[in-house]
Formats: sequence, structure tokens, C-alpha cells
Amino acid sequence: MNSRNLLWRDLLVLFGLSGWALALPAHASEFAVSMALTCLMYVALSSSWGFFCGTSRYLSLATSAFFGIGAYTTAVMLGELSWFGVIALGAGLATLVAVVMGLAVLHLRGTYFAVLTFGMAELIRHAISYFEKSVSGTVGRVLATVPEMGTIYHTVLLLAVLAVALSIGLRRTRFGLALLGIGGDEQRAQTLGVNTRLVKVAGFAFTAAIAGGVGAAMAVRWTYIDPHTAFNPFIGFQTVLIALIGGAMTVWGPLIAAIVFSVLAETLRLQAPQIYMMTLGILLILCVLYLPGGLASLRWQTFKAWWQDSRSWWKARRYEWSGDKARDKRKARENRIVGL
Amino acid sequence: MTTRRQVIQGAAALSAVSIAPGLRAQDKPVRIGYAMARTGPWTGGAQVSQEPNYLLWAEQMNAAGGLDVKGVRRRIELISSDDRSDVETCVRTYEKLMGSDKVDLVLPPWGSNANFAVAPLANRFGYPFLAPTALSRRLVEMKLPYFFLLLQQPQPMTQALVDMFKANGVKTMACIYVDDLFGLENYAALKVALQGSGIQLVEDKSYPGGVKDLSPVLRSIKDKNPDAFVGFTYPPDTILASKQAKEVGFNPKFFYASVGTAFQLYRNVMTPAGAEGVLGMGSWNAKTSPGAKAYFDAHTQKFGGKEPDRWASGHCWAGLEILTNAVRQVGLDRKAIRDYVANTTHKTIIGEVKFTGSENTATPGTVSQWQNGEFEVVWPPKLATAKLNSNKPVWK
Amino acid sequence: MSFSAWLELLASGLITGGIYALVALGLNLQYGLMRILNIAHGEFLMVGAYLTWMVQTQFGLSPLWMIPLSFALLMLLGLAIHWLCFRRLTATSPNLDVFEARGLMVAFGLMFLIQNAVSAIWGGELRGYDYMTDPVAMGGAQFAANKLLVFFMALLFSLALMVLLRKTLLGKGVRALMQSPAGAQLVGINTRTLHPLMFGIGLGLSGLAGCLLSMAYTISPAMGEPYTVTALIVITLGGFGSMGGALAGGLLLGVIEAIGMHFTNPSLKALLSYVVFIGVLLFRPKGLFAK
Repeated sequence: MNSRNLLWRDLLVLFGLSGWALALPAHASEFAVSMALTCLMYVALSSSWGFFCGTSRYLSLATSAFFGIGAYTTAVMLGELSWFGVIALGAGLATLVAVVMGLAVLHLRGTYFAVLTFGMAELIRHAISYFEKSVSGTVGRVLATVPEMGTIYHTVLLLAVLAVALSIGLRRTRFGLALLGIGGDEQRAQTLGVNTRLVKVAGFAFTAAIAGGVGAAMAVRWTYIDPHTAFNPFIGFQTVLIALIGGAMTVWGPLIAAIVFSVLAETLRLQAPQIYMMTLGILLILCVLYLPGGLASLRWQTFKAWWQDSRSWWKARRYEWSGDKARDKRKARENRIVGL
Repeated sequence: MTTRRQVIQGAAALSAVSIAPGLRAQDKPVRIGYAMARTGPWTGGAQVSQEPNYLLWAEQMNAAGGLDVKGVRRRIELISSDDRSDVETCVRTYEKLMGSDKVDLVLPPWGSNANFAVAPLANRFGYPFLAPTALSRRLVEMKLPYFFLLLQQPQPMTQALVDMFKANGVKTMACIYVDDLFGLENYAALKVALQGSGIQLVEDKSYPGGVKDLSPVLRSIKDKNPDAFVGFTYPPDTILASKQAKEVGFNPKFFYASVGTAFQLYRNVMTPAGAEGVLGMGSWNAKTSPGAKAYFDAHTQKFGGKEPDRWASGHCWAGLEILTNAVRQVGLDRKAIRDYVANTTHKTIIGEVKFTGSENTATPGTVSQWQNGEFEVVWPPKLATAKLNSNKPVWK
Repeated sequence: MSFSAWLELLASGLITGGIYALVALGLNLQYGLMRILNIAHGEFLMVGAYLTWMVQTQFGLSPLWMIPLSFALLMLLGLAIHWLCFRRLTATSPNLDVFEARGLMVAFGLMFLIQNAVSAIWGGELRGYDYMTDPVAMGGAQFAANKLLVFFMALLFSLALMVLLRKTLLGKGVRALMQSPAGAQLVGINTRTLHPLMFGIGLGLSGLAGCLLSMAYTISPAMGEPYTVTALIVITLGGFGSMGGALAGGLLLGVIEAIGMHFTNPSLKALLSYVVFIGVLLFRPKGLFAK
């Protein structure tokens, strides 16, 4: 299958999925639509995150900051602008912050960058808290009149489809290849003429725009927005977890993982809530250790390789524990001495 | 062999028949749904003030044969799940309970944030909501007909505090408040109540929730030597402020910390001697009424020594009493329940409860104080279970 | 403000700073020396706190006994975790960047795992106990005895670690490892035992910090994260890997916060810490005290 065919296949699958998602509200219960909404939210967030962070290996923990900026925009501006105006403004402000942040910090690598984005997210949260408190004299905002569930659902669906479609499409352009190059070896990419700074900032801004838009849409479900709920770091963590476990570098990995985890979260929550989080943690550790490409990189060969690995491990242990290894070592030493 | 099996089967049938009369009376159970924080930051409050009461209530009702629905006793079936201290999860759970599962009644979640999110929902689906742990003027202002707040709101609570201080000759006061809606609203209400009271606010500082060190603030307050200290704080900060006041040697005549002083945890951590004289938000204890004592003992016994807290727990139980009465009078018609709740004056373990709009205006603002290991109501005098000790002893 | 009031403010800042330094020591060992950014650090601190609380309320054992005990228990836990999780990473990562990134993600997973395991075992409610809270008068001011103990322990352990790293053979081996893993192996330093040992000591230190902190503060499963963040800020200020830097950075942070809180608002404290943090990361990534 050449690249063109893959592109068509991907787009077709996306089309099918979005059609199904579109039809959902018409004949499913309100609860199922709610679940689908959360699922779509994480699809959007983790796909856009994976597109930038998976390929370029810059782990961003700033998702909750952008989400919160979008949510706060809604909280402040819902009365003033139209619905789409608010979403666009939320996405726009988040993008602006991302560009500023990116220009300042994207020259740092690896863990520095991750820690820094986390620090900046917290900084933004505390700054908005303080500003609200001192200037507006209040600390949260109440949304009195909110749009219907249908509007929210379709907006988030649109954002999710946009995130996945752009992920599919841009991957094949020079932009996507440049990101991959940065992830592989940044210096070499630079010598090959890639404007790494611009590319990185653009990628970072992409994640921010989607996160801001999604945040702006979801905020109306909570009636009361305060910095603590809007900038909830758990949203950022869960996005990263889902993208990593699904396979950050792939298109479909984050999507599949988002669906799986939304369902898992809901079922486990009703039985054993802590088990869900513990499962997430263990799954992540196992993935990083044994499946660095994420769930999407699972193939039949992977299972075969694991089986072979475990068999050779067992063989080595048997060799060691039965004393054969010690005997062979002794014999080899004797042979060496005798041989001389 | 066959005979033995037959004997066992016969015995099983006999025992089933003997409890069948009880079963027959129950028919369909009454399904009551709620989401509660069992993990996450809200768990501390939810598992002390709210969920134990729901469980105790269901158990007591079912032991008596079930909830009395206009004369017919029906078993209560609680459908609950963990909301993980997450507003979105809360919203989703209640959408499921009210929209898909179509339960008969719902009970509210813990905390103002969750109630903000779920109140419009309850209104839309037409389920009456009696919330014991929600506190905000803005919730009242939303004017939702199906939403009722049981707890006293900031204005009466701060007014009661200021009245008590005035009556005891307090001239200067210092205040710290937590950086969120609760702290801000109470602080604003305090400022309003202080106007014309003759009490001067010598220092007021806000702090972020979860702060690890308040001693610089407390030291500077100590230097100003106010008669009274008022803290609008959450349980961890309440305990921190108390411990650090002891550390810096800050011993005002009146030390008031709002949330957390009513918890058994406060007495455990500070020791009964250390807690002596501390004031806080509390509105009842086992001495308030015979019903209150019965509830207190039942709660402590069921949960192995865990006492209900002396503020929200009582209001939670009162709300359940109101719900019980409503269902007994008008059955499970939710609109009728709502009208009953809104238009009647209720007699509960904490006294009379009457709603004006969403707000419980019959329970006045109150102040309580730790005396000899018990959190006594000391203001207003007509509700007091003990006299105010107006000279707090030095921290032990 | 009078001179004694200034002294009191500075002293209280230093004591809080000592707590910060103690909390940061373990993380410094793990990141500075092994490049494992253990963001689950705060969770292990929380485990130490819970163990101390449990022992104190159920068996009545004094928390002072738990000081060495929590260190030992968490060190064992650290050895186990290193063997289970991080050893494979060292073997399979192609370069240091990837190792760091993967280590971070594993620590992430550990954070979820530990926090929820504790919540499942002990429940989510607030816990606390009263120990050594009587104030001790020093000069014109007074401080709680348990806070003084924490400060003293912080100084003790930082100095002990500094001496260990500089004077002993083990310490020299660790520093060699930090400079060049391949070179260290070539001269015969046994990395296979040194790595888990250092990781274990790091975790043991965080458990110890948790034990001491449980005397002064209430504990809950979610208490760990702010301490992780504080530890990160301190080791950034002091420079990764430098024990003396961590001590100085912690004390400095404590003093900055105390002064900031006094003259402005405690609400600005968090803002201030993060501004300092980001500033140092951007403009002096090697730490404030690097040559």
C-alpha cells in the first residue's frame, strides 16, 4: 500500500467514524452522548498532542493550561459573543499564549521542556487566580444561560475530526516530515535547512489551539468556572497518558486509546474507582518498558518477540539456577589454565 | 440421599415462606441515586459530612421495613458511584441517573462546585435537590425552583459572629481567608456586617488553599494584638492555623476558624485540651434535641466511633428527614415533593427549617465553641447548648 | 519593622526552607546523579507520612522510631522499584534523552499507581496527629519543636550527603558515574549495585521527609504533588546534582517566600515561586550557584 492509498484509507475511516458519531445523539440516551462527548474531548486533545509531541519528542505538560484558557474565555465572554465566536476566541488566545511560550522555551530539550511547560501551566493558573481576585473581586464565574447539549457535542466533534484530519494530512507534508526530523535528530534537521524554531512553535500552537477550543466548549457543562476546575492538571496528565499508551507517533493510537480509556474509566469508576487510576499507572509503566511505540504498534510480531524473549529469559534462569552456569565457568577457567 | 436433599429443600422453602410476608410488603424498591467523592480532594469532606448519613438513613429506613410512601413501605435501593472529585464526572453521573436510569429520587453531591454544576440539571429534569454542603450567595441567586440549600449562607453566619463579638466587647479583629469562593464570600459578608459595629479590622490577608506555612502572617497579626481572630479556612488550613498559632504564641481572646473545627478530626489532632475554647461554624450537637442525640449515637455506633461533624452532617440529616416526611405525605411525585419542601415549615433535629426561595432562612447564623471535648453551640443564646467562654485559654 | 521581628521572619523562612531542602534531597540524588526525574517523589513522601501515622495511631509507637524505619522501608521499596522498572530502561534506551523521557513517563505511571494504592488502602480522608508541637523559645521568638527537628534533620542529612559524596570512596564512585557512565565502568566501578543503591537512598530520604512532615501537617493521599513541585523548584535553583546547592536553594526559597508573604499577600507566594522557577530555568539552567 503506497502512501496515497494509506491517506485515502485513513480519511475514509475518519469519515466513517465521524458519520457514526454525528448520528449518535439522535438515537442514544443522554448519558451515552455524555460519554461520547468526554471520549471525543480526549480524542481531540490526545491526537493533537501526539501529532506534535509524539513526533518531535518534546513532551508538553501544558495541555491543562491551554484547556483552562479556553474554559476561562467562555466563562468571561459567553454573554458577549456568539457561540462560535467564543470558541474561536478561546482557541485563538490559547494559540497566542503558546506562541509566546514556545518562542521563549522551545530551545530547551527533553525533561527541561516538560518541567518548564508544567511550571508555566501552574504559573498561568495562579496568575489568573490572583488577577481575578484582585481586579474582579471574585474568583469564579457563573454561567447562567448555556447552549444546548447538541451544540456542545457537535462543536467538540468538529474539533476532534479537525484534529485527527489535520494529523493525517499534515503528517505527509513537509511540515510533518520536519517534525519527525526534529524528533529524530534536531541538529541534523537544522543543517538540512529546516527552520526548526518556526516548525516547533507551529506544532506547539496546533496543540494549544485544539486544547483551547475544546476547553471553551466543555466549560459550559460546569455552570461554575473557577481557576481550580478550569486548570485541572488531571486533564493534561490524562491526555499525555492516553497519547503515550496509544502510541504517540501514530494517527490512530491516541484515538483508540481515548475510546478504550473512556469506556474503561466509566465501567471501573462504578465498581472500583481507585483501580482505574492504578490500572492507568501500571499500563503506562508496562508500555514504556515493553511497548515504547504504544498500543498502536502492537503487531503479531510483537507478541512473537515477547514470547521468544520470555522463553530465552526462562532458559537463562534455568541454566543459572541448575548450577550448569557455575560448572561451565569453572570448566572454562580450568581449560584456560591447563591450556596455557 | 434423596430424602436429605428433600429435607434441605423443604427447609429452604419454609424459611423463604417465613420471610415472604416481609418481602411481599416491599414490591418495587425506591431507587435513590447519587454521586459522591470517594477519591480525590473532596473525599475528606464528603466522607465525614455526607455519605455516612446517606448510608445510615437507608439502613434505618430499611430496618423499619422501608421508606414510607403514602402508607406503603418500600425498600430503599441506593444507586451510588464515585465522582472522583471531578465536576464533569458528577454531571455525567447525574445525567445518567436522571435521564437514562430515571431513578425515583436523587441526593446531592458534596461541595459548592459540584452543586453548581448539578443544580441546573436537577432543575431541568425536575428532581428536588436538598443540598447540605453547598454555600454561595450565587447559588441562591440562580433562583432554581428545585434546588434547596440547607446550610446557613455567609450573610447570617458572619452577622451572628459579629453580633456575638459585639456583645462581648470585642474592639479589634484580624481576618485571614482562603482564596476561593467560600473565603471571598464570607470575607465580603464580614466586611458588610462590621459596618457600624464598632469593631475595627486591623489586618486582613488572603491565602491560597493548601498553603504550607502561615506563621509569618500569624506573627504579624500577633504583633497587632487583636481581640479576635477570624479565619475563613478549610480543614487542612484550619488545623495549620491552629497549630501555628500555638507555635508563634498567638493567643487572642477569641479564635475562630470556620470549616474543620466542627470535625472530630480537629479534636483528635489538636487534643481536647488543645482545642479548648476554639470557635467555629457549628450549629448543633447531641444536646440540641432528643432526635439529635439519637442520630449522633446511631451514627457513631454504625461507623465504629466516627462521629458526625457538628455542622453539615446535622443539616444533611435534617434534609433526609425532610425528604422522608415529604415522601410520606405526597408519595414519589417529584413536583409534589418539591412543593411540599418549599411551602412547609419542617421540624428537624437541628430545629425548624423553612425555605425562602432556595435558602433555608429558618436556621439562624450560629457560632460554636470547643468546651471540654465537645463542640457546643454558644450563639445565639436561644439555640445555645452551653455558655460562651469568653476567655480562650492559652494553647496547650 | 523592629530588628527582632526581622530575625523572627528570617528564622521562620529558614526553617521552612530547611523543610524544602530535605524534601528536595532525595529527588536531587535521583535526577542529578541518575537522570531519573522521579515526579512521583511526593507520593513516596506521602507513603512515609502514612506509615508513620499508622504506626503512631495503631501501635502507639513514637514517630521518632519511624525516622530510621521509614528510611529503611522506603529504601527497600526503592531498590525493588529500580529493579522492576528502571533497570530495563537503562538497558534498552538508545541515548540519554530517550532514557530521561522514558524515566519521566515511568515515574508518571508510578505517581498514579502509588497515590491511588494509598487511597484504596487508607481512604481519602484527612488524617493527622499531635506530636512535639510545644513551642521552644529561642531568643525572643518561639518555634514548634517538630519544625526545629525537621530543620535539624535537613541540615544533618545534607551535610552527611555532601561528606559522603566528597570524602568516601562510594561517593567518589557516584560522582564518577555522574560524569561518565562508560568511563566509570571501565575503571571498575560496579554500576549494577550503585544505581539501585542511589535510587533506594533517594526514595528513603523522601520517606524520611514524609515521616517528619507528618508530625507538623495533616496528611491526605493528594498531599504529595505540591512537595514534588517544591522539590523541583529547589533542585533547579541549586543546580541538579549538587547537595550543597539543594540546601542553599531550599533555604533561599523559604526566605523569599516568608518575606514575600509578609510584605504582600500569601496568595502571591505560589506565583512568586513559579516566576523564580521559570526564571532560573530560562536564564540560569545550571542553577543559581553554578560556577
